[in-house]
Amino acid sequence: MNFEAVIGIEIHVEMKTKSKMFSSSPIAFGKEANTLVQPLDIAFPGTMPIVNKQAVINAIRVSHALNMEIDHELWFDRKNYFYSDLPKGFQITQDKRPIGKNGYVDVKLSDGSVKRVEIERLHMEEDTCKQLHMADYTLLDYNRAGTPLIEIVSRPNIRSGEEAMRYVEAIKSIVVFSDVSDGKMEEGSLRCDVNVSIRPCGSEKFGTKVEVKNLNSTANVQKAIDFEIKRQTKLLLSGIPVEQETRRFDEMKRETVLMRKKTDSVDYKYFTEPNIVPIRLSNEFVENAIRTCPELANEKLVRYINFGLSEEEATQMLQNRALSGYFEHCLSINVKRAKLYWNWIMGEILGYLNKNAIDISKLKVTPDNLDHLIEMLEKQDLSSNQAKIVFEKMTIDNKDASKIVDELGLKQNSNEDEIRALVDEVIAEFPQSVIDYKAGKDRAVGFLVGQIMKKTKGKVNPAVTSKIIIENLKTK
Amino acid sequence: MYLGKTIEELHELLVNKMVTPFELTKEAIDALKKDTTNAIETICEKEALDFAKTLVDPEFDNLLWGIPYICKDNFSTKGILTTGSSNILKDYVPVFDATVIKKLKEKKAVLICKSTLDELAMGGSGMTGHKGITYNPYDSSHTYRIGGSSCGSASLCAQGIAPLALGSDTGDSVRKPATFSGLVGLKPTWGRISRFGLFPFAPSLDHVGYFTRSVKDSAFVLEVLAGSDIEHDATSSPREVEKYYSLVNGSIKGKKIAYIKEINKGIRDQVIKDRFDYCLDLLRKNGAIVEEVSLDRNLLASLYPVYMIISCAEATSNNANLDGIKFGPRIGGETSYQEVMMKARTAGFGELIKRRFVIGSYSLLRENQSVLFERAQKVRHLLVNKVNDILKEYDAFIAPCSGRIKSEFVENSDNVTDEIDIDKMIIENHLGIANFAGLPSISIPVGIDNGFPFDFNITGRAFEEVNVFNIAYVLENELNLKNLSVIKGER
Repeated sequence: MNFEAVIGIEIHVEMKTKSKMFSSSPIAFGKEANTLVQPLDIAFPGTMPIVNKQAVINAIRVSHALNMEIDHELWFDRKNYFYSDLPKGFQITQDKRPIGKNGYVDVKLSDGSVKRVEIERLHMEEDTCKQLHMADYTLLDYNRAGTPLIEIVSRPNIRSGEEAMRYVEAIKSIVVFSDVSDGKMEEGSLRCDVNVSIRPCGSEKFGTKVEVKNLNSTANVQKAIDFEIKRQTKLLLSGIPVEQETRRFDEMKRETVLMRKKTDSVDYKYFTEPNIVPIRLSNEFVENAIRTCPELANEKLVRYINFGLSEEEATQMLQNRALSGYFEHCLSINVKRAKLYWNWIMGEILGYLNKNAIDISKLKVTPDNLDHLIEMLEKQDLSSNQAKIVFEKMTIDNKDASKIVDELGLKQNSNEDEIRALVDEVIAEFPQSVIDYKAGKDRAVGFLVGQIMKKTKGKVNPAVTSKIIIENLKTK
Repeated sequence: MYLGKTIEELHELLVNKMVTPFELTKEAIDALKKDTTNAIETICEKEALDFAKTLVDPEFDNLLWGIPYICKDNFSTKGILTTGSSNILKDYVPVFDATVIKKLKEKKAVLICKSTLDELAMGGSGMTGHKGITYNPYDSSHTYRIGGSSCGSASLCAQGIAPLALGSDTGDSVRKPATFSGLVGLKPTWGRISRFGLFPFAPSLDHVGYFTRSVKDSAFVLEVLAGSDIEHDATSSPREVEKYYSLVNGSIKGKKIAYIKEINKGIRDQVIKDRFDYCLDLLRKNGAIVEEVSLDRNLLASLYPVYMIISCAEATSNNANLDGIKFGPRIGGETSYQEVMMKARTAGFGELIKRRFVIGSYSLLRENQSVLFERAQKVRHLLVNKVNDILKEYDAFIAPCSGRIKSEFVENSDNVTDEIDIDKMIIENHLGIANFAGLPSISIPVGIDNGFPFDFNITGRAFEEVNVFNIAYVLENELNLKNLSVIKGER
């Protein structure tokens, strides 16, 4: 029997707004526990939520990028439950009227086909506090409590691990390029819960779904789903029903493991948040939020291709927002060098960053200085090997490329008159090479270039030199 | 002896240096210590005297300068114990001031006391606070209620200890006790006064309210407390605050005032009936047009159950933060967080509260929501629409605050017996209309019978507090019942 997988994904995105969803408390990572808190964040009696405007702008931008209908009236609801990490005893979310609904995103698969993943809803809510479980007690850090979240819920029309992975990558790209979030799965600023079930091909009925949590990379999303599909298929083929449960992905074992059996679903007793009167969003506000959204990856892609990159090259650059930001800086200096910048960023720069395990924000070389280096290369003042040496020096303190060239005495001599004199000199010194050349031994040219390099300690332009040598030999 | 004076009277004395804020505060605190009605949670003696001492240069255009006031113990006061009259918060000292507290501080009014309430402002009997029953100062036999939930504020203001006492009003918690203590009790339009720092009971119905002993005092206080608070309360209105104090001049000529037949049907005391007719005549004499209107009896009768469902549903959520982890006593619970929460909440809340939490949770359950909570919301809207229809034609409506002048203590005010007296249910709960619709509503003393004062209530259009004040002001002048207090006795 053939089975078809039915996959739905819920993604939580932590927004990087300056302050929290409903309080003026600042947001930052890695600060001392419980230092970024306002009375509201710990649910002091009498505190009330004030909606963060930037969070709303962010939600509009992502909704728009996901082709969603945007609700022009903001409604919030309370989701009521008791839990140790939940300050108020309820979470403020958008249950009945999410800000975005009925959207989609198109993702490209490895076989070249395009999959349209349908998205049911996008809503805003607030994060809980962070728990640190010790041996016999638990510590609570309220710094995270109230951090604005966007939750994006797909429809269950995803069919494979690859589709799921591409979908998560697409969401990640949108939230990162729109400046809404860091989108770091490994740090939890983009969290993803996957529901997987399988059913016989052609069946309309859904199978029993299993929720998989703890997916800290897009690759693991694919691996976990692929594993889960295999596991469930095996069960069904052996006549064992799939049980409704929550599992997590174990990275070491590369398989999903049981966390807990699902019991009856919790009744969250939703009702409209009475402390926020519905907020009317003007067309102008919504349009402005969309218009001022930072350029997204798919828009950049078109531009990069116009600048002469291939689709693969452009896509590769857009995998990393920071790298592409650096690339954008370079482009603003001289668009015509797009391909050269790409080569340098994807080659030397990425190599350097990887070697030193740093990200591009730590790179000392400015785009201007890089451009300067590339310019010298273009003018053939430097050989590409020399340029690499210069670049290495530039990474230390961004010293001007031409200064480094001077200091190292690297500048290539491309002056044809001077080189002609040198050529005359070495041909006179090595008459045998003329004979060799005439006898058809082309390597005589290389030999002569080598001699001139030796004399000048490599400061002549080898291409120019070899051209003049050939001209000279031909006249003999 | 300065007890029993109004804000206006005390202001005259203060600016003419007949008395200092310190002396006034001292006298009020001495009087607090002699309270026999169990109305006090905390006397802020040191804070009040220290602050009063700093007040030396009178502010002539600020009526509240140096005036002692009382605050219901469900307003957050920085550094001062705030219990909500509940064991679950018996040791809670807030880290911030409610907006109204901040505003009164800026006006140099002196907070002298935190007063008792029905636990967390739920219940209207004055019986459910963690310190026990708060009594009515007009009744030394302790037979009749002062009502609630703002029982302590009502009692202390009626004793003349301070001319202003803050309360909160979710169903009638200021305006109902006002009738049993002969005070002016105001709850303005929803959103007119910031609720930041007021412990929430049911935010869609909650209002800051207060007691004074004159209409003019009430108007001045509103001028101070009203206004938007965009940083703390998103429901506070950005509308400009009117100059209520100078706009209160008793001019009601041509104003149309309604009274609702179905409410008045529940009057069970001839004195009230006669007084009502007499007051209508006084209003007519002053140029108002007074007419009887009718409102669907079934809708009015549904007010109480609808109120219970909505307020309890909101209440169960609002008080979910009191879980023994952040707030409330740690009774124990070594096995799980659930155990910590259950133990704290079981020990921390009184019976009436727990009962209301159950009602609230029940009405929000998935299987019940459409027949209970959502239906209650629909009925609320229906009733609000009907009332607003009346207010399209009339500037305000007037009604008795209660069908009786006195109300005896009964075991549990929430208990509904099998035999429901619809007329009684309507007249004893109709003040909630103003909470459902967020309308400005004032209770005003209109008579004294055998030593027991009683009020009528006037409710007007949203943000038209001035109309409401003026109608009340006319009655106050005509009836000569300004500044009632226990000290002055019968007039």
